Amino acid sequence: MIMNIFDKKKSEAEQVDIIDLDNDKTLDKNKKLKTASKENKKRKKVLIEFKNVSKKYDQGENVFYALKDASLTINEGEMVVILGPSGAGKSTLLNLLGGMDSASEGHIWFDGEDLTTFSDNLLTKYRAQNVGVVFQFYNLIPTLTAYENVALMKDIKNDTTDPKEALSAVGLAEHMHQFPSQMSGGEQQRTSIARAVAKNPRLLLCDEPTGALDTDTGREVLKLLQDMSREKKRTVVMVTHNSFFADIADTVIRVKNGGIESVVHNDSPKDASVVNW
Amino acid sequence: MLIKKMWRDLLGNKTQFVSIFLMSLLGMLVFVGLDAESSGAGIVVNDYYKKYNLCDIWIQGAGFSDDDIRTARKVGGIEDVEKRLSLTGTVEKYDNAYAYINFVTTNNISSMMLYEGEPYTKDSKGVWLQEWFATHNNIRVGDIIRVKIDSLYIDAEVKGLIDCPEYVYYVSESDMMYPNYEKCALMFMSEIMYPDREHMIFNQLLVDVKEEISDEENIILLKEKLEKAFDREDIAVTDRNQNLSFATFDSEVKQHKAMGIMFSAVFLTIALLGIVTTMARVTASQRTQIGTLKALGFSKMTITFHYVSYGLVISAAGCIIGAFIGYAVLAPWILGFFVGSYLVPGLRGIITGLDVTVTVVSVIIAAIVSFFSCRKELKDAPAVTLKPPAPKKIKHTMIEKSKLWLMLDFSTQWNIRDILRNKMRSFMGILGVVGCSMLLICGFGCFDSINGLMDKMYGELMTAKNKIVLSQEADIGYAYDLAVKYKGQMVQETSVEFVSGKVKKSGSATIIDKGNYIHIQDKALKPVKLNKSGIAMTNKMAGLLQVKEGDFVKWHLVGDDEWQYSRILQIYRDPSIQGITMYRSVYEDLHYSFKPTAILTNKSVPKEIIDEDEISSVLNIADMKAAFSETMEMMNAMIYIMVIAAVLLGVVVLYNLGVLSFVEKTREVATLKVLGFKSGRIRNILQKQNIWLTIIGICLGLYAGWGMLYIICTTVSDTLDMYPIISFATYMYSIVGTFLVSIAVNFMFSGKVKTIDMVDALKGVE
Repeated sequence: MIMNIFDKKKSEAEQVDIIDLDNDKTLDKNKKLKTASKENKKRKKVLIEFKNVSKKYDQGENVFYALKDASLTINEGEMVVILGPSGAGKSTLLNLLGGMDSASEGHIWFDGEDLTTFSDNLLTKYRAQNVGVVFQFYNLIPTLTAYENVALMKDIKNDTTDPKEALSAVGLAEHMHQFPSQMSGGEQQRTSIARAVAKNPRLLLCDEPTGALDTDTGREVLKLLQDMSREKKRTVVMVTHNSFFADIADTVIRVKNGGIESVVHNDSPKDASVVNW
Repeated sequence: MLIKKMWRDLLGNKTQFVSIFLMSLLGMLVFVGLDAESSGAGIVVNDYYKKYNLCDIWIQGAGFSDDDIRTARKVGGIEDVEKRLSLTGTVEKYDNAYAYINFVTTNNISSMMLYEGEPYTKDSKGVWLQEWFATHNNIRVGDIIRVKIDSLYIDAEVKGLIDCPEYVYYVSESDMMYPNYEKCALMFMSEIMYPDREHMIFNQLLVDVKEEISDEENIILLKEKLEKAFDREDIAVTDRNQNLSFATFDSEVKQHKAMGIMFSAVFLTIALLGIVTTMARVTASQRTQIGTLKALGFSKMTITFHYVSYGLVISAAGCIIGAFIGYAVLAPWILGFFVGSYLVPGLRGIITGLDVTVTVVSVIIAAIVSFFSCRKELKDAPAVTLKPPAPKKIKHTMIEKSKLWLMLDFSTQWNIRDILRNKMRSFMGILGVVGCSMLLICGFGCFDSINGLMDKMYGELMTAKNKIVLSQEADIGYAYDLAVKYKGQMVQETSVEFVSGKVKKSGSATIIDKGNYIHIQDKALKPVKLNKSGIAMTNKMAGLLQVKEGDFVKWHLVGDDEWQYSRILQIYRDPSIQGITMYRSVYEDLHYSFKPTAILTNKSVPKEIIDEDEISSVLNIADMKAAFSETMEMMNAMIYIMVIAAVLLGVVVLYNLGVLSFVEKTREVATLKVLGFKSGRIRNILQKQNIWLTIIGICLGLYAGWGMLYIICTTVSDTLDMYPIISFATYMYSIVGTFLVSIAVNFMFSGKVKTIDMVDALKGVE
C-alpha cells in the first residue's frame, strides 16, 4: 500500500481526503476519512497533513526544538506560502515536507501515506517521484550546463518533461547550453525551477526562491511559480521571510518559534506580477 | 548526465587525479613489468628445459662404465641414463679462453639446441660450439679450433653452433661470480673425438627421470635410491637445485619477482592514499552538490556509485595502461639485460593470471577506498548535507596546553595546529618523502654495496695483484718453485660437498699455505686470524646448513670417497665463495696431500708463462674487477628503475599534496593577506611546514631504505653474501635529492600565494 503514492494513477483513485475550507484548521482524523465527492467544488483534496510534528535536536543536556507540535494541511493544487522570521522553523517544515529530513515526533501524511514510517530508501523514492525543490542558492550542478542540469532528472524518473521544453517554459531556450557560472542569478533560478518542474512533481517546494535575486528578477520567478500552481495545478509550497509574498498565496501559514502561529486562506490572491517589496 | 558531471569534475581536479593516475600506473607498470619479465623468463626457460630434456639427476664420480648405466637403469622411475665425460680446458688462440668440454654419447639428455650447422650424431667428428662464444670470437661453422685439456690437444672442425639447457649460466674458474661467455667456451664432442680412448673414463652419469615423478619430493627419494644402488662413497648425486646453471637462473627469476612485489607495494599504497585524500577532498567540496542530488531524489546508491567511479575510472585507467606499458616496454627492457648473462633462447615477457588478478584487485581496492572516503558525506539526511558542515570540533592538544606553546612564534603555532588537524594529509606527505628517500638510499646503496663487495673481494680478502692458475699437470714441487720465484702464496681451491642433518650443499674448500694474501673477516666484518688448528666455514654456508660455531659437519672432496667429520672452529664471511677455509697443515693432518691450484703474488708475471703446460692462465686482479663491474648490468638496470621511481614518486606525491593543502589553505592565506601579512612571510610559513614534514620523512626514509637494501642484499642469491653498505655520499645524495624535490614542488605552490585574490577567496561559498 505504501507504494501507491509513487503511482500517479493509483493515487487519484477513490481514497480522497477532504477538508472543509470554512471549518477549523485543525482536522479531526475521523472526519478526514469520511466519504468524499469529487464534484464538490468547495472541497479540495488534501495532499499533505502534518499532525503534532516535532523536530528536535539533542545537544547534550538541553534539547532544542526546531519545530514543536505542528499540525497543518495542504491541499492539492494550492499555492502555499510559509512565512516567518529566521530560525522560526520554516526550513525545517520544508525539509520535512520534502522528505529531506525525518520528524522526531508526530505524523506526516502525503496522499494518505505516512512519511514518518518511510525508510531512507522509500524517502528517496518519494523525493524522486513526487517532490521538486527550488533552492535559495539554486544548487545547480556547476559542471553541468542548464540543459544537462534539467536532463539529469531523466536519471531518476521516467515521465519527465523534455529538458528543452522545460527550459523554454521558463524562457531559457536560448541559454540552454550555458554553464551555471555563465548565467545570471535569475537565469540560474529559472533553470532550477525548470529542473524542479521537469519531473512533473506533485509537490513543488521553494526555499526563499527569490532570496538571492533583485526585485524585478524575483518577481519574474514568483510569477513563474504562481503559474505553475494556477495553470498546471501543481501544489507549490514556498518558504520566505518576506511578508509581501503572503498576498499571492492561496494559503498563508505563519510560523514562529518552532510552532504554527496561524493559517490564513486567501480567497483572492494577487497576481505575482504586481507584488512589490 | 552524472557521467558527464564525472568527466568534468575529473577535468576540474585534474592535477590530483593525474597524480592518482600516475601512481597507479607506476605501481602496475613496475609490478606487471617485473612479473611478466620474471614469469616470462620462468616459462620460457622451463619450455626450453623440457624441449631439450634437461638432465634431472647428475651422478658424478671417478669413473662410470656401462655396468653403472645398467645399475642406474634398474632403479624404478628412470627413463634414461647416459654417460658423459665433462672436462675443462682452454681454447688455443682466443685469449686461451677457458672451456667446458663435454664428451657425450647419444646426447638425448641435456641435448644441444642447434642454431647453425649440422645436427649432432653419435658418430660424427667435429665439435659443437656454444653460439655466443663463437659469434663474438668470429668462429664460423667449418673453422678449426684447437682445444687443450691438460696435456692433450684436440683439433676439431666446428660442426655447429649450439646452446644447451644445462648451460644457461656458467662461469669460468677464474671469474667465479659473473659470466663472460666471450671468454668462456662451451663445447660438445662425440666420445670418439677423445684422443686417448684407451684411458677414457666417463665421470658423469646423466639421469632422465620419468616425467610423472619428476617433482621435488620424488627426485629426492630417487636420489637416495640411486645412492643406495651404487653403494659407492666416491659419487655425488645432485639434482637440478644443486646445479649452478639451474639454481642461478631460478633465483634470479625469484628475486625479480620479489623486487616487483616490493616496488609495487610502495607505489600502490601511495596511490591508494592519494585516492583517499583526494576523494575525501572532492566529496567534501561537493557537499552541497551531494545534498542537492539527494534532495532531487537520487538514491544513496546512485550517488555513491557516482563518486566511487571517480576513483574507479582513474585507477582502472592507470592500472590498465600501466600494466600494458609494463608488459610491452619494461619487461622486454629488463629481459634485454639477461642477454649476455644467461643463455636462454627466445626470452620474452608473458602476462600471467597473477598480473590480471593484481590489476583487478588493485582497481577494486581503489573503488573500496573511494567508497569509504565519500561515505562520510553521504550518511546524513539531505537537509543536513545541504548546509555547510559544522565546524570541526577542535580540541587543544597537549602541546597547546603547555607553557612552551606560548613561547613559540605564530608561524610555528600555526603549522603545528595545521599538521595536527590534517593528520591524513600530513601523513601522506611524510609517506611520499619516505618513499622518495627510501628508494634513493636503496638505489645508490646498491651501487655502494657492489663496490664495497668488489673492494672487499679484491682488496681486503685477497690482496695479491696476480693469480697464476695452475693446471692438473702442476705438482707440488712445481708450484713450490713458482711460489718461491714470485714470492707467492700457494692456494688450493676445490669443490666440496657438505652434509648436516638432511641438508646437503655443495661449496668450495680453500686450503692456504704460508703467505699473506688471503685474509678472513668475522661476522661483524672485522679482520680475524684464521684458526691454525681447524676449519672455518662461511657464515652463509653455515646458515644454509643450519649449523653454528662448535657444531660438527660432514664433508668430502668431490671425486674422493673419504668422508670427514669436522668441528667448525670459526665462522667467517666471504661475499663470493661459500664453503670452508683451512691451513695446509690442517688439511694434511686429515691425510690429504696438498695440491695447489693457484699461486697468488704481487710480482708481475710475464705473459709467456702461460705456454708452460703446468699453467692454465694468469689473471690480473684489475682485469677481474673491471670484468666484474661490467657484468653488473642487470643490477644497474634495477637501480635506474629505483632512482627514476624515487624521483617520480616524490614529485607526484608531493605535488598532489601541494595542491590539496593549497586549496584547503586558500581562505586562511587570504585572511592572512587581508590582515596585512606580506606574501613572502606567508610563503615562509607554508614552507616551514613542508620542511618539517620533509625532515621527518627523510629520517624515516633513511631507515626504511637501509631495510630495503638489507632485504635485497640478503636475498640476492645462495652464493653471494652481500652486506648493505651505504656511503656518506649516498646519504648526502638522497637527503639533498629528496629535499630538492620537496622544496621545489612546494615552491611552485607557495609561489601562488601572490596570485590569491583576497576578495575572491573570501567571498561566500556558492
